[in-house]
Amino acid sequence: MNIANYLYLSALLFTIGSIGVVLRRNSIVVFMCIELMLNAANLAFVTFSRINGNLDGQVVAFFTMVVAACEVVVGLAIIVTIFRSRRSASVDDASLLNR
Amino acid sequence: MNPYVPILAIGAIGFGFAVFSVAIAFITGPKRYNRAKADAYECGIEPSPSAAGGGRFPVKYFLTAMLFIVFDIEIVFLYPWAVTFDQLGLFGLVEMILFIATVFVAYTYVWRRGGLEWD
Amino acid sequence: MLTTPSFEYLLLSPMLIILAAAVIGVLAEAFLDRNHLPVIQLFISVGAILLALIQIYRIKSSSSTSAAIGSVVIDKATIYLQGTILIIGLLALLLISDQEQFVAQASAIPGSREEQESTSKGSIQTEIYPLLSFALAGMMLFTCASDLITLFVALEVFSLPLYLLAGLSRRRRLLSQEAALKYFLLGAYSSAFFLFGAAFLYGISGSVYLVDISSAVSGGYGNDVFVLIGLIFISVGLLFKISAVPFHAWTPDVYQGAPTSVTAFMAAATKVAAFGAILRIFYVVFSPIANQWRPIISVIAIITMVFGSAVAIAQRDVKRMLAYSSIAHAGFILTAVLALNKSGLSAALFYLTTYGLSTLAAFGIITLIRDATGEVTDLNKWAGLGKKSPLIAGSFAFLLLSFAGIPLTSGFIGKFAIFSAAYETGNIAVVVFGVLSSALAAFFYIRVILLMFVAQSQNDSISIAIPSVKSRIAIGATTAATVILGLFPSLLLNITQSFSIFIK
Repeated sequence: MNIANYLYLSALLFTIGSIGVVLRRNSIVVFMCIELMLNAANLAFVTFSRINGNLDGQVVAFFTMVVAACEVVVGLAIIVTIFRSRRSASVDDASLLNR
Repeated sequence: MNPYVPILAIGAIGFGFAVFSVAIAFITGPKRYNRAKADAYECGIEPSPSAAGGGRFPVKYFLTAMLFIVFDIEIVFLYPWAVTFDQLGLFGLVEMILFIATVFVAYTYVWRRGGLEWD
Repeated sequence: MLTTPSFEYLLLSPMLIILAAAVIGVLAEAFLDRNHLPVIQLFISVGAILLALIQIYRIKSSSSTSAAIGSVVIDKATIYLQGTILIIGLLALLLISDQEQFVAQASAIPGSREEQESTSKGSIQTEIYPLLSFALAGMMLFTCASDLITLFVALEVFSLPLYLLAGLSRRRRLLSQEAALKYFLLGAYSSAFFLFGAAFLYGISGSVYLVDISSAVSGGYGNDVFVLIGLIFISVGLLFKISAVPFHAWTPDVYQGAPTSVTAFMAAATKVAAFGAILRIFYVVFSPIANQWRPIISVIAIITMVFGSAVAIAQRDVKRMLAYSSIAHAGFILTAVLALNKSGLSAALFYLTTYGLSTLAAFGIITLIRDATGEVTDLNKWAGLGKKSPLIAGSFAFLLLSFAGIPLTSGFIGKFAIFSAAYETGNIAVVVFGVLSSALAAFFYIRVILLMFVAQSQNDSISIAIPSVKSRIAIGATTAATVILGLFPSLLLNITQSFSIFIK
């Protein structure tokens, strides 16, 4: 199987994720789309690792996973705090700052 | 000696231990049947289609889940070390102890500030 | 067979000290008595920053590419930037340690009984100190990172604490939490772009090290579509952090919503760190294919300068106004990135320092203008401030003149250095737009000055808080630096010229 297909898949996932960030309203879903983008980047790294024949890309994937987990913790903490304050996780409701 | 012999031996010991444990519990253990016994894994929360209290999980589930994720994922850094620890020698050991100590600091923070208390 | 990696701990020591202080701070949070924590935490953070500054001074003339197996480059520019970040961090810490701006208990729901209780008990979320130390260490690492992994990890290490710090304001908590959410979502979005770009740069070069990527870029892959994908996506991630124009949407909201002392730190230190990385990446990695990206970055620099200056005019809130002014300043510094020569780098270093110090001073002064409900950031209520406190209003007016780039201020010297560096390389269009937009910017700065000194005050509710000793030191030192560097710029210009060296 042609290895470039993995890159196409990665680009596709990244696009789906970035469109989701722009279009979705629920902040948790927006956040999941961002995670999808990070995973797309991870897939690209692992694919390039295979193409280049060294392991550096897989090492990056490890670090990305850990960083993404930390991002999840910080992000969910912020989203949960906001939800407790105003009983809504919609990004459209967070518009006090635009007046 | 064939390198697979020890692996087979470990497999046999593991299999024997499992059979022995189940059999000895079956023979010697008390037999009291009640509702908890019928649960999956004989413990935990009864599975139900929706969460307790009207479809939303309390925030403490998320808190525990987040703590689990962030400590769990640190394990990925132990795997590469486990593969090469004899080549890295003392250096690798010291670095790994430092790394785990740092993670442990975070853990003590969570523990002392009450992040692990359920109620 | 693996060889055991070697580290040059002396060169890494400034970062290691700050990181160690952050970890010790977390331990202190866990075990020490909460009544003494604010003092202890301040002591740990300030002590660590001072120690790190001493180490910076000790290593000031060294350079090495192998400090951490090639992942970190310590060169003159790095040492200068790290020193700047530490000084900004130290002064910001003095502002932040007047903790009354911070929430007593971040997990309490705004307006709940739990919140009132913890506020009246005087408890304080002292986690701000370790968070600040982590952010500082991440920023220092970001300026010297020379592989993609270190760059990405450093980016997150300094961003994640800032997302949290932005949400910890004591008053107007919903605004503050909203600022944290926006900053977080957009920041995570941009770091995903950064990572995707990094994947493609790894793809063409087969290595995560910037040196190898640089030789792959110059070695005939210059037109390769993968290089361009990598270049564009990495640039998006970095331009977001400096709030260049298509990626600036978060800046006004976050600057307005975050506690003002955190805004001061964020505005000053993030710019230094992010521009440090941008300068390194564009000077070291992408300079062989400058023809490919110069037009794009030129356009971004121009619209950033013009947009930031133009929109600032319409603002009614002083923190939002400074946010748009910081966007405009990002455009000016991008001009130095375009120059791609030693004088451009030197000008950028000078500008970053003076801008960072003036910004700290300006936000520090905002923390002093208050009424019964807390800080007053509505510009209309600032009318007549000049009569109430000529000293405070005068200093603020002077800082605004420095932002505008009026002669005899450090802002003028910085702009002059940057535009002459850009002119040297024949980038006339950018220079013309830069000068025009700073003239435009001067209008609204002068409007604020007129408002403070000439307009009649409509209400007497605002007062000027008597600054604590710590705030006084921070605001005084930064304002004095703006004055001195305006009158005697050669003090710093000589230093930036000798420190403007990137090694591969």
